[in-house]
Amino acid sequence: MGTFLVFLAGVLFLAGLLFIKPRANMDKKWKTILNWALYVAWYAITWMGISFIYINASVGHVKATSTAIFLFLGISVVLAVVLARLLGFFGKQQKKANTSLEA
Amino acid sequence: MSIEKQEGKQKQKQEPRINRRNFLKAGAASAISMGILGMANALPVQAAETVSNSAGQVNGARSKLHPTNYGSASVKMADFNDQWLGTTKIVGPIKKFHEADQGFNLVFRHKVSEAAFEANKFYHAAAKYPLGDALAKFTLSLAPMVSGKPAPEKLNIPDPEQMSQHIKDCAYFLRADEVGIGKMPSFAYYEFKAPPLADMMKDDLSKSVPVTESLPYVIVVMTDQNLETTMASTGYDGISGSQSFLGYHATAVITVILANYIRNLGYNARAHHFSNYAAILGPCLVSAGLGEMTRTGDCIAHPTLGFRNKVAAVTTDLPLLPDRPIDFGAQDFCRVCKKCADNCPSGAITQDEDYIEKNGILRWQSDIKKCVEFRVTNKEGSMCGRCMKVCPWNSKEDSWFHQAGTFIGSKGETASNLLKQVDDMFGYGTEQIEKYKWWLEWPERY
Repeated sequence: MGTFLVFLAGVLFLAGLLFIKPRANMDKKWKTILNWALYVAWYAITWMGISFIYINASVGHVKATSTAIFLFLGISVVLAVVLARLLGFFGKQQKKANTSLEA
Repeated sequence: MSIEKQEGKQKQKQEPRINRRNFLKAGAASAISMGILGMANALPVQAAETVSNSAGQVNGARSKLHPTNYGSASVKMADFNDQWLGTTKIVGPIKKFHEADQGFNLVFRHKVSEAAFEANKFYHAAAKYPLGDALAKFTLSLAPMVSGKPAPEKLNIPDPEQMSQHIKDCAYFLRADEVGIGKMPSFAYYEFKAPPLADMMKDDLSKSVPVTESLPYVIVVMTDQNLETTMASTGYDGISGSQSFLGYHATAVITVILANYIRNLGYNARAHHFSNYAAILGPCLVSAGLGEMTRTGDCIAHPTLGFRNKVAAVTTDLPLLPDRPIDFGAQDFCRVCKKCADNCPSGAITQDEDYIEKNGILRWQSDIKKCVEFRVTNKEGSMCGRCMKVCPWNSKEDSWFHQAGTFIGSKGETASNLLKQVDDMFGYGTEQIEKYKWWLEWPERY
């Protein structure tokens, strides 16, 4: 089961990577690096949080579970929103597609 | 090409998708990762360690059944000489101890309080809990089995390291959780064995027997007191005494058998367990590389078990390769943590920052009389192990984040302070996990 979950985490990491790839490259290099760094940090914290919460909940550490839900998932949501904004999933003016192609 | 088709192509280029090439790349990466994980799990220990580069530290002879396991703690080897016993500083001559001055014997001798004496007549403090009584009676029955004459034929042992490995594996085979071999500290032997209980209850020490044994090595056997029970208990309810006797009886059985075995090889061996000691085991544990002294004063913490353990020992002249004492930062950790002292129901554990010198060694000094008085007069259960329950080293299951915590906790005072605060934030140690509460309470007997 553990090996399968590691495999699944790897697949999801790659899927996410391919998903944001078209939007991650920016005009400035530091912005591109920031996007990728944020993605890696967000992914790591999210799965660390899920793992932490799952293990604590299964053992029965009630306070640790509830604290971790707020702590890890809170950080995860904030990072996800920041990343989505930087990648232009929302908040940016969408460029209108040029439908009048000239010959 | 029509305009619609060109637009379709442009849109297709913009949309993310997994093409065949990327899919194959992802598949290959996953297969390699799984292969490495599989190899680490499937191969024999040494090969797996080579593959995963996680051989870890080796102390003394290497067991085949249970290689040295310090978890993620940052462990350094320490020394045992005339100035240091591991991380404990020796500052003067250490006088040997009379067994009758041990905590519970002080209760029998009316040296604590009359209330304590009445509460613990004939070990009632443990016996009032039926399971504790069952375990204690069995353990007491092993008292006569500690020693004997070695076999007349002394078998040749050309390689002490191989024999040490064999003895460790033998103890693990007999279901020990941790085993260490140390140089026997001469001051750990009692000066006198306590007289029979009836005499002690009259505070008559005239029948004390001098301890003359002096063997060079000590094999220390450690067992866990059960994590889930610790997590479900208050630390001073009915099961507390039985947790102690869980470890006492198991280690007694293992050491009695080990001592018999060593005598069969033709060498001297004496078991030391709950119902028949000729030595104090704390220094033996440190010497055997099984832990460091803690704020509690007499409990020795192991890097992975903490002091959620009980031990027994075998002293012997069998040729052995001793382990070295270890330093995993417990002194720095205990200095800043104080969780045991904050939670001790009797207030027996000191809040001091620094050690106090007593009988030639520097250590934190607990008030042993307060401790045993609470344990024998406890009206909410049988005995007490609250310090064991709340200690951050004792109260955790094995997981990646507790391993990370172990690493942090062994890295000095600042890191230990951080770990203690994280421990408190997540509520570890002080919680009671009801789903593991398997035992029954009989408050009418407390």
